[in-house]
Amino acid sequence: MSFLIRLVSHTADEREIVRASRIEKPQISVGRAGGSDVHLTDLAVLPYHVCIERLSGRTLSVRAVGTLGFRVDGKPVMRAEIDADTGAELRLGAHRITITAGDGDEIVLSVQRVEALSEATIERDEQRAFSLAGKLPGRRLTAWGLLLAILVGFLAVPIISYASRPAIDTRNIHTVKGDAPWSSGPLSRAHHALEGKCESCHEKAFVSVRDSACQTCHTRIHDHASAPRIAMARAEPGLGGKLLDRVAAAFGKPPAGACVDCHSEHEGAGPMQPTAQAFCTDCHGSLRERLADTALGDAADFGTAHPQFRPAVMKGGADFAYPLPRFERVSLDARPNEEGALKFPHDVHLAKAGGVARMARRSGQGDALVCADCHRTSADGVRFEPVEMERDCQSCHSLALETIGGTVRTLRHGDPAQVTADLTAYYRSTPPARPAQLEGAVRRRPGLYAQGQVYAAYFGEVSRRPARADDAVRAVFSPGGACYDCHIVAPPGANGKTGWQIAPVHQPMRYMMKGWFDHRAHSTQTCESCHAAPASKRSGDLLLPGIATCRTCHGGEKARAPVPSSCALCHSYHAAQGAPWSPSGRVAGRTDEGG
Amino acid sequence: MAVRVPVMIGRPHAETVHEGFLRHAGFRWLKIALSISVIAVTSYLLVDVTPRHNGGSWYGYALGTIGVGLILWLTLLGVRKRAMTRGCWSLKAWTSAHVYLGLSLVVIGTLHTGFQLGWNVHTLAWALMMLVIASGIFGVCAYAVLPAAMSANRDEMTQAQMLDSVRAIDRQLHEAAQPLPQDQAEWVERALRQDPFGGGLWARLSGRYRRCEVARAQKVLRAAGIAGASGSDPLARIDALLGRKQAMLARLRRHLRLRALLEIWLYVHVPMTFALLAALTAHIVSVFFYW
Repeated sequence: MSFLIRLVSHTADEREIVRASRIEKPQISVGRAGGSDVHLTDLAVLPYHVCIERLSGRTLSVRAVGTLGFRVDGKPVMRAEIDADTGAELRLGAHRITITAGDGDEIVLSVQRVEALSEATIERDEQRAFSLAGKLPGRRLTAWGLLLAILVGFLAVPIISYASRPAIDTRNIHTVKGDAPWSSGPLSRAHHALEGKCESCHEKAFVSVRDSACQTCHTRIHDHASAPRIAMARAEPGLGGKLLDRVAAAFGKPPAGACVDCHSEHEGAGPMQPTAQAFCTDCHGSLRERLADTALGDAADFGTAHPQFRPAVMKGGADFAYPLPRFERVSLDARPNEEGALKFPHDVHLAKAGGVARMARRSGQGDALVCADCHRTSADGVRFEPVEMERDCQSCHSLALETIGGTVRTLRHGDPAQVTADLTAYYRSTPPARPAQLEGAVRRRPGLYAQGQVYAAYFGEVSRRPARADDAVRAVFSPGGACYDCHIVAPPGANGKTGWQIAPVHQPMRYMMKGWFDHRAHSTQTCESCHAAPASKRSGDLLLPGIATCRTCHGGEKARAPVPSSCALCHSYHAAQGAPWSPSGRVAGRTDEGG
Repeated sequence: MAVRVPVMIGRPHAETVHEGFLRHAGFRWLKIALSISVIAVTSYLLVDVTPRHNGGSWYGYALGTIGVGLILWLTLLGVRKRAMTRGCWSLKAWTSAHVYLGLSLVVIGTLHTGFQLGWNVHTLAWALMMLVIASGIFGVCAYAVLPAAMSANRDEMTQAQMLDSVRAIDRQLHEAAQPLPQDQAEWVERALRQDPFGGGLWARLSGRYRRCEVARAQKVLRAAGIAGASGSDPLARIDALLGRKQAMLARLRRHLRLRALLEIWLYVHVPMTFALLAALTAHIVSVFFYW
């Protein structure tokens, strides 16, 4: 009836030391207390933790003395019966007690500390314990993980997306996401519909954008000039430029002059970026050096290097021999005059005092006439409609002939033959004013019919009245007459024509045929700030402002002017009659910035 | 293994006076890097790229090519550092160049973008590059400042000695606590069971361990009325031991914190470099794919 207690411990070099003692008792206590039969120096063990009792033969009863239990073969219990032949393993705190059957009826309890007495005393790899290893995912794992994730997400997925496009891509632009991370920025408003459809412009992989891609949609864009002429006009690049060209060619870039040279994309949503001045001045800055036959002056910057304007000036407008005038481009520096067929002194009409001003006041048009009283803008606001006699002049320059029952009959404007006919008919159908002596029941005396008397005078006049029409017609077409005051008149017989002739009036709506000027964009300015009309005495004065006037606000692209202006503000590369391409709102925005 | 570069900042050596990689050859690489940066900024301002600077202009391509060359060379430090040599191309010279040329990459890389940033692979590459550089700057600062602090904290003890000291206190605590009743012994046991290397990354980096069982045990046992106990009382001995353990742990934890700060940047620097190489590949391929 004895217990053999084997206390097992290990030396530093893992050698096992066993100290055995025998207890001849049917019942033993196990605990931390010094008085217990099996003394465990273990703070997780109660002073008297379990009591082991032999029941019969080799059967043992193990029960917890206090409130703390123990484990039998890993299972937590408060009491257990153990057959020593079968054996069992008790676990109390950090200690293991293995129960086996010994010789005879002896029962062997092997006691061993199996856990370090504290966490600090556990043997560990010092380098690892003191480092961050284990606190963070490994560097190598993270590195390769990130590498793979980025290659898949930002390289493989876009390429698969590109390769798996349908031949005819009708997908909504917002559904195509695969290669979106490749886009360096949103497309401009004009090309927004192509967002996500990269292949619209980037037609082939690893081939830069070609003009053919642009021309798929822009079918009617024509070239600036013939390709050989453009090639001749382009300034020879410097040493660096040549090197760049060579590198670009080596990488398969098209030579200079491609659409994308001027029209850059992926610069952000909103209006497309305006074409930079440099793209024009590459050729035009020193064009004359290379194109000897060009009629164009060199232009490098509007503010500093731009020739004086050369408007199309009307010549021979009063020439009866030609139905249409000629137009010659003359520099404003030459102070050209217009040869038109209208007599019109602006100064008289715009004077603040005088007859015209008085008439204006009488007719309720304000203190004096202003430009807008006669000049009306075109529907697009860009320029002005020709002045119309009936609408713009006739309220003062009346062609009234007579009043019949409150209706005013006027001579027809623009038709000299009709005027002649109307006047003739008028004199034929209307008697002269009847003298008062011939009216009513006035008693008439004999002799009134005598030569020189009323009857003779009146009826003589009546008989001559139709012939007076010729005088009236002549008067109307002569100095002081209604037509002559404004028009150039030729008498019957001149130029091989029988009737009176008026030189046709031409009013050009556009002078700057190579540039574009938008009056609407300048509506904040007064007319007089550019057009010196109030001082103009003759209609032949060309009232166009010179480049100096424009330069009070406009400077070159990079100028510190209120309105920095690149070439494209007024000129179109793909020259047409319309306005040059320019992102809307661009100039307005700059004006605001410039104050 | 920690990827550490040798740190020798103005420390005298037995044989030769060493200068750190930052001061190497009279700041040669600092001067070179500064020159590169100044040239890059000046040319950026002088070169008229229309409509505005971006990576796709000739100037942008030039900066990009220089940038990618630099990045690849900088990455090679990881290979180069495994072979130490002396002289002009010594590892120290290489490290000095790595640091300063890496800094100049901030200028080159950013100018290459033309400040056009967005949610795309191109900006991803730039952002990763900046992250790598920022972590590198942190690393250089850490190597410049922390070793002195570490040395002061260690007080001539080695890491192993610090740990042994804790172990010795633990053993004494364990012994001293044997006579205690269970409710008190349990507190000591808890103090012993707490891993001095436990706690998460944040605890390591901040050095703050909120649930320190040693401090709690001391507090609880003091509350049990041992403050005025005599020296022979086991509780008084335990109180003293717990105090010693706390002091030792504080030193150990400061040491762990300084080591963590010395190491943490490499957990960003190295993986982000790999991520950068991947993003850079995607960036370059995409640019020429959709050219």
